[in-house]
Amino acid sequence: MQSFFQTLVSGLSFGAVYALVALGFSLVYRTMGLVNFAHGAVLMIGAYVASTFYLSARLPFAVAVPAAMIVTGAVGLVIERVLRPLENKDFDLMLIGTIGAGTVLDAVAILIWSSSGRGVPSPVQTAPFDIGGVRIPAYNVLVIGVTAAAMAVLTLFLQRTRHGAAMQAVAMDHEAATAVGIHVGRSNAISFAIGAALAALAGALVGPMLYVTPTMGDSLGIQGFAAAILGGFGSIPGAIVGGLGIGVIGSFAAQSFQGYSDLVTFVVFTVLVMIRPTGIFGERTVNRA
Amino acid sequence: MSRRPRYRLVSAAAAAAAALVAAACSAPGSSQPSSGSTSSGAVAGPIKIAVVDAQSGSESDLGQFEWRGVKLAVDQANAAGGIDGRKIQLTLYDDQGDPTVGTELARKIASAGDIAMFGTAESAVTLAMAPILESEHIPNITSGQSTQLLALHSPYLFLNGPTGLTYDSTLAKYLVTTKGYKKIAMLTNNDSYGAGEDEAFTASLKSLGITPVATEVVPADQTNMTPALTAIRAKNPQVLFIGAEEAQSGLIVKQARALGMTAVIAEGAPAGTPLYMSTAGVANANGTIVSSPYLGNDVSPAARKFAAAYTAAYGTAPELHGAKAYDGAEVMIAALKACNACTGLALANAIRAVHYAGLLGNFRYNSSGVGIFATSIGIITDGKIKPAG
Amino acid sequence: MSRLPALSPPWSLWSPGRARAGGLVVLAVAAWLLPYRLNIYWISVADTAILFALLAVGMGLVMGIAGQVNLAQIAFFGVGAYATAILTTRDGFGFWTAGALAMLAAVIAGLVVGLPALRIQSHYLGIVTLGLAVAFIDWITNAPITGGDSGISGIPTPPLFGIDLASQYLYYYLELIVFAGGLAFGLFIVRTPLGRRMRAMRDDPLAASAVGVEIRMLRMAAFVLASVYGGAAGVLYAGLVHYIAPETFSIADMFLLLAMVIIGGRQSLAGCVIGAIGLTVVQQELINLAAYAQLGYGLVVVAVVVFAPAGLVGIPGRAAAWYRRWRGHTGRAAALEPFRPLPAAPPSPGSAGGALLEVAGLVMRFRGVTAIDDVSLTVREGEILGIVGPNGSGKTTLFNVISGLYRPTAGTVSLGGRVISGAGPHRICQLGVARTFQHLRLFGNLTVADNMLVPLDRTRTWWSWRYIGWPPGVWRHDRELKWRAASLLGCFGLAQFAGLLPGSLPYGIQRRLELARAMASSPRLLLLDEPAAGLNGEERSQLAAIVRSIRDSGVTVVLIEHNMGLVMSLCERVIVLDSGTVIAEGVPAQVARDPAVLEAYLGKSALPAPHATEASP
Repeated sequence: MQSFFQTLVSGLSFGAVYALVALGFSLVYRTMGLVNFAHGAVLMIGAYVASTFYLSARLPFAVAVPAAMIVTGAVGLVIERVLRPLENKDFDLMLIGTIGAGTVLDAVAILIWSSSGRGVPSPVQTAPFDIGGVRIPAYNVLVIGVTAAAMAVLTLFLQRTRHGAAMQAVAMDHEAATAVGIHVGRSNAISFAIGAALAALAGALVGPMLYVTPTMGDSLGIQGFAAAILGGFGSIPGAIVGGLGIGVIGSFAAQSFQGYSDLVTFVVFTVLVMIRPTGIFGERTVNRA
Repeated sequence: MSRRPRYRLVSAAAAAAAALVAAACSAPGSSQPSSGSTSSGAVAGPIKIAVVDAQSGSESDLGQFEWRGVKLAVDQANAAGGIDGRKIQLTLYDDQGDPTVGTELARKIASAGDIAMFGTAESAVTLAMAPILESEHIPNITSGQSTQLLALHSPYLFLNGPTGLTYDSTLAKYLVTTKGYKKIAMLTNNDSYGAGEDEAFTASLKSLGITPVATEVVPADQTNMTPALTAIRAKNPQVLFIGAEEAQSGLIVKQARALGMTAVIAEGAPAGTPLYMSTAGVANANGTIVSSPYLGNDVSPAARKFAAAYTAAYGTAPELHGAKAYDGAEVMIAALKACNACTGLALANAIRAVHYAGLLGNFRYNSSGVGIFATSIGIITDGKIKPAG
Repeated sequence: MSRLPALSPPWSLWSPGRARAGGLVVLAVAAWLLPYRLNIYWISVADTAILFALLAVGMGLVMGIAGQVNLAQIAFFGVGAYATAILTTRDGFGFWTAGALAMLAAVIAGLVVGLPALRIQSHYLGIVTLGLAVAFIDWITNAPITGGDSGISGIPTPPLFGIDLASQYLYYYLELIVFAGGLAFGLFIVRTPLGRRMRAMRDDPLAASAVGVEIRMLRMAAFVLASVYGGAAGVLYAGLVHYIAPETFSIADMFLLLAMVIIGGRQSLAGCVIGAIGLTVVQQELINLAAYAQLGYGLVVVAVVVFAPAGLVGIPGRAAAWYRRWRGHTGRAAALEPFRPLPAAPPSPGSAGGALLEVAGLVMRFRGVTAIDDVSLTVREGEILGIVGPNGSGKTTLFNVISGLYRPTAGTVSLGGRVISGAGPHRICQLGVARTFQHLRLFGNLTVADNMLVPLDRTRTWWSWRYIGWPPGVWRHDRELKWRAASLLGCFGLAQFAGLLPGSLPYGIQRRLELARAMASSPRLLLLDEPAAGLNGEERSQLAAIVRSIRDSGVTVVLIEHNMGLVMSLCERVIVLDSGTVIAEGVPAQVARDPAVLEAYLGKSALPAPHATEASP
């Protein structure tokens, strides 16, 4: 039983990171209709920028992370401008175009930071909490808390602010949105930048849990995308539930099937998607024929 | 009208058939001499040797270490006059850690006229390249340590360090006989290094009459090791043996300590590297027991001299992989000197005949291409490896 | 044989067949002589490039032609290679026996990966196929049978009549022959009924199913095709390198393959091949500049996708179009010809005036919204029936149910006494129901002629076994279809547009094409959803003549129309729908005076004769 809860806790901690990744995927898809396969690479850039601020510039972690989010958000603006012709195009082009952008980011990271990884010491030195033998690292609690806060802030932003409402309008019908005077280009740019900042947040948070390498985004990107689909692509609560779900499935698969955990995770994922293609919360349909 | 293209197709087929006949008379490629197969290095000019190592991807650190070690030895030899006045010219190839790329590079080396090869740092890539190098008569000094390399029985393949079995049997003997530990758990990854370690350490323990209390396997790209560690923690072992590359090993230790595991960490060569220590964190790495043929840059006067030259050349201190590669290059240089820059099987035999006192110990190659048969035990204290007392 | 040229449809004269054949000969000879110019290293690069080209052809077929996102092609490659390796090294099979079994294994993998495509598409299919590829990679990295991360070595050289295939040079010829066969077969598929259906499915799956294409079967067929190419490349790879390991089948390699296909041009197999060979060579050239090569490669991918979405093969066409525009020279414009009445059917004894279509107690609900509420109606053989009603009254929904796009919540639809509700749209089309759509649904990337050829082909998907069993039969069938398409296009006055894409035509001509396409499936019942929307007066009167001629040829017509003038003049009977129920039925003049009808229109929209379409953007 202790082992069960320990595995659950580790699944939830990594699930929180996947949820943040999924949140970025879903936000960009929901508002722009763009499936962004460069998201994992953006995350990696965020992780490097955050770790550079934290380790080399010796900024406090709580300052380094928002700074990395701003820098990465700016990188996001550049990517969005380049990829703008792909928005609302067919999926194949988006797929390979965003993968190409991700490849560029990977190469840039290697040229700046070299292809070897770097370890990031945990910013929280508190001893792990011990609840009935289940050890919960303090940092993991922080990660789960930040994820919950990010979801809450994002939901409020979309529902309560003018920019958020504009994005939703663009998602529903971008011709009509244009007609009522919403600047679609600007709205999309903002939403892509927010997605990039979310990726940076995920990368910055996962840095101390893992180590930062130019390839770290590949696996996190795929898991995060799977999480977004599992929860219901485009749905904010879906991203959270999907992320936690993928994290927990992966964690138990790792314990029961050892090296075969990816195989089990993705077979389970495929079966779930086959049973319920729209995911747990259903897709916020962007374009309907 | 519409039939005319068919006639053209027929004539195309006829042309193709004629070409086939031509090909049967003289197959393409058959006229080209297979480079490297000549055993006399009569040609003047530099002696061309390839270095094949990952320069990109997750294994690029190892590749960098290896390249620096080899280059340092060769630069020193060239500065001292080369081989009979001929300089050694190194060419660096990037295998990207991919065995398929390795097989292509093996052919590229052969066509480029390289007479020998250093690398790779990954047994899987070397395994893929070895048959081609053998058929092209190119001797290869590899940094791999898998026992599978010996199973190839290639007369052209040499290791620049001990096999994994040597590392692990030394480590097992120290843990069980010297320290008296009985409850030992194993956590290995599933790539060829981890699988080799799993096999070698299990065999070493078995010979000492010990069965591990837990054996867990994680994927090599796995980042969340907690589920496997949770299963191990439930067995409450005294020692946790890790068989994984540097960064992942560090991550395992970091996550194990976060789970409150206090078991002693024991590992082969990767734990002796700076990357391991930086990923794990200095506090977490403390007390790690390392089995390595090169316990740091202070173990001998030769090591200090090597470290000084390495630091002067690259601005950073060397570690095990650089030292291994340096030794391998020294062996090659000695063999080339001994046989007057010969090539092919003659060079392979010359390497086998080399007796060389290196950084890792005294090299004396046996028939399966292993030249060094011992490692030492070190303990990490405050970010430095200290020889175990 | 002497009759064949006469059968050849008119637009074949336009095909640059002779230039193409000459080019092929040059290419074939160059490929054959290439090894004489290459050293041992470059020949191994050439060997790799051909394998990637084979993989890319498979990718092109499934993604570019059939429109199915397949990110598991690398796994098919892996299945072929691993099955060959395991069967030869562990079980002692001969190379070719193992290779044949490996192809079988690859096809099974294709069926498994294709299964999700029955339910999901687009990015969902992308992540699921990618996930399955990750699962496969995970399996080969762990399983003892695959040798784990160290892979399998000692795969034997394939024996071939004493030819020493251990030589990289001679192996090149083996690969070249397999590749040429694979490419020829792929091109044959693309240009004949199977590939045409796949392209139609890619452009518009809904319209394709409505003209009788069996979408599910075709999707599976596409994945099986991809797996055959992947498996063949895998078998050849195992025999070439004698050693396999998981790194060769990584996700990065999958994306590289994808980049080859997109950069070359996914909708053209030649483009896929160009992309594969080009990227393989460039990658080998830049192997020692990994980071910069990666940067350059990423930038090129982004640039191609943004500036040349059709890939490298699309560039000459765009350049030519640009040049023509620059010169202000557009060539002779194609013109619409008059409609030639269809041959009238002899009045069929007995059945005339009997019920052809019967709708009984039909209910259609969407998540609590009732679009059709207990509708019953009868369509008589040989009549022109109009269905009118205000916006949102359920007219198009009724068509969608009859044509099988929706499965009714309750009630039945029967055609000629046979219940058809619940059957798929392709089945209903095969039983003799054809339709047009309110918003045009032509196959945008198919020529006008191809748009006609898809419905003209009444064979089932299973018929495609002939592609392996008896290809000349496929060829002959295709020629016959083309002849019939030419004659039908002639009837509809569209012959001059045969080689053009529908998107380049004026709206009225597209409308007529959609009508012709519906007629190509030789229906008994034709459903027209607002056929006059967007037409000018002259076009409307032409439409009326065409519809009458269609009826006279023995086809029953039901049309939804807002243009009351057209309904009055054309229809013999009118049914009025409002809020999903039938509120009136009868001859046009009588219905127009019906108080319930007037109330429905006036009460809802205050327009006496609504011309507005139901269109919403």
